[in-house]
Amino acid sequence: MTEAVAPGTGERPAKPRPKPLTFLVAIALVVWTVFTAREVGFRWSTFVDVWTNPLWEKFWPIPWEWVLDRGNVIDPLIETFQIAIVATVIGCGLALPAAFAMSRLTAPNSPTYWVSRIVMSIVRAVPDLFWAKLLVTAIGIGAFAGAWALSIFSFAVMVKLFSETIDGADPGPLEAARAAGSRHVPAVRTGVLPTVLPSYVAYALYVFELNIRASIVLGLVGAGGIGRIVEAQRTFFNFDRILGILVIVFVVVFVIEQISVALRRRLV
Amino acid sequence: MTATLPSDQADDAASETGRIPRPLRPRLARLAVFLVIVVGFIWGVSGLDASFERLRSAPGDAWAILRLMWPPDFATVIERGAIGKVLESVYIAWIGTVIAATLSLPLAFLASNNISPAFIRLPIRQLFNVIRAVPELIVAVVLLGVVPLGAWAGALAIGLHSIGTLGKLSSEEIESAAHGPVEAVEACGGTFISRVRWGVLPQVLPQIASYWLFRFEINVRASAVLGMIGAGGIGSELIAQLRFRNFPEVGAVLIITVAVVVFIDTVSSSVRKRIIAGGSGDPSRMMALIRDLGGSGLARQP
Repeated sequence: MTEAVAPGTGERPAKPRPKPLTFLVAIALVVWTVFTAREVGFRWSTFVDVWTNPLWEKFWPIPWEWVLDRGNVIDPLIETFQIAIVATVIGCGLALPAAFAMSRLTAPNSPTYWVSRIVMSIVRAVPDLFWAKLLVTAIGIGAFAGAWALSIFSFAVMVKLFSETIDGADPGPLEAARAAGSRHVPAVRTGVLPTVLPSYVAYALYVFELNIRASIVLGLVGAGGIGRIVEAQRTFFNFDRILGILVIVFVVVFVIEQISVALRRRLV
Repeated sequence: MTATLPSDQADDAASETGRIPRPLRPRLARLAVFLVIVVGFIWGVSGLDASFERLRSAPGDAWAILRLMWPPDFATVIERGAIGKVLESVYIAWIGTVIAATLSLPLAFLASNNISPAFIRLPIRQLFNVIRAVPELIVAVVLLGVVPLGAWAGALAIGLHSIGTLGKLSSEEIESAAHGPVEAVEACGGTFISRVRWGVLPQVLPQIASYWLFRFEINVRASAVLGMIGAGGIGSELIAQLRFRNFPEVGAVLIITVAVVVFIDTVSSSVRKRIIAGGSGDPSRMMALIRDLGGSGLARQP
């Protein structure tokens, strides 16, 4: 039994020292950040200069009569929606069987598992607008190429998300179906699909949100939608019009996201 | 058995086919969802000037381009400095992430319901929502109006946009932090700042740091795209090569991009796993860490 020490008089325990590795990592991070900042052309002055830039005057006032005109903004925005809907339906529809082929639990055999996994990670590593630009080059400027690009991308994202859900599904019903003598596809259909369907729908809604966001910028590379208008106005430095488009886009994206989040909350 | 079925008719149907009839309402709901999707799809396709002619020729055209890219011409692209440009994309993504992390951390604390009062919290949350709703490419378009074209503008655009997501995720993490350590600091007479610094920050920092890294992975892709509108990086090289239809060079640019993106994803995700697991990379260690941190979690352990 040690002697009782009056509060406030005893010696404090020594503070543990950081490990040398911690120091090394911290220094490496700082050096790396400073180096990248120099490469990028980081300037503190920008944070001040930006606010006093006279070009901000070009952003205001928003020309509402131009923005709310049907042909200028609303029609391209509708096109954006159409691209997003088509891409979501095609991408998520194709992803349903593909995800089952890519999950460890339900892959018919291991070559299918590995080949699909590698192909998908390559498809996902190419940024979405790279796809759009490539497809615009291949099949021509317009919403058609944009829908193609987003279909590919949402397919890749969906397969990844959904196959991970299937990985985590309860294998019990699948084993039961197999034990009862079922073949592979019916066993998956009755044993796994019902348990993962709610997450599938939730992910599909999430992918739809992603597609709405992506299809806004598709037009910047010539793949249709509202971005086409942003690009056209940018070349003429009509920043007030761009700001007006932004306000509309924000309202629309916000509303869709709220609906989607509410639906997803009910599902999962 | 008959008592549970709605009518004799249903009972007959069941006995004839040997099946129990399916309930009607879920079937109608399923049909409605199906119809909505089909109608939406047809409406969508109608706006895409997708004639059957185009639909038929598109896969062939896309495949032809893909064929032209093989074999990729690395020599020309590397001579033109593609490696430097892809590294520039990585730098842009890093600086953007650092900016976003620095700005979003204090904002996230101000947006959490266990730290900050409603009149501060709610406006900041709305700010996160507004920022998240505007894609970084659009942010870049606007910024390019007032910041000189180049890598720095791209980094700023990425930094601004990432504040929205990082702030939201971080504040959710802060809100789920255990209250015990905060009370302990309070009991020792800690001020507000001490409570946040010693009571909350150590609990949430590993997870928040892993969000930063995750955002860095996303930002590498985003900065590659930003190059396409002139904000520096590999995207500009892709555009340049596509303009002159140099498809073997395009193939090389794509392969370099994919290689760098996959490399960064792999490194970053293994670092993230180590951060969350507390340095050992061992999941049981992570569970121990969670148990240690969650005050009430201890009681539930056997």
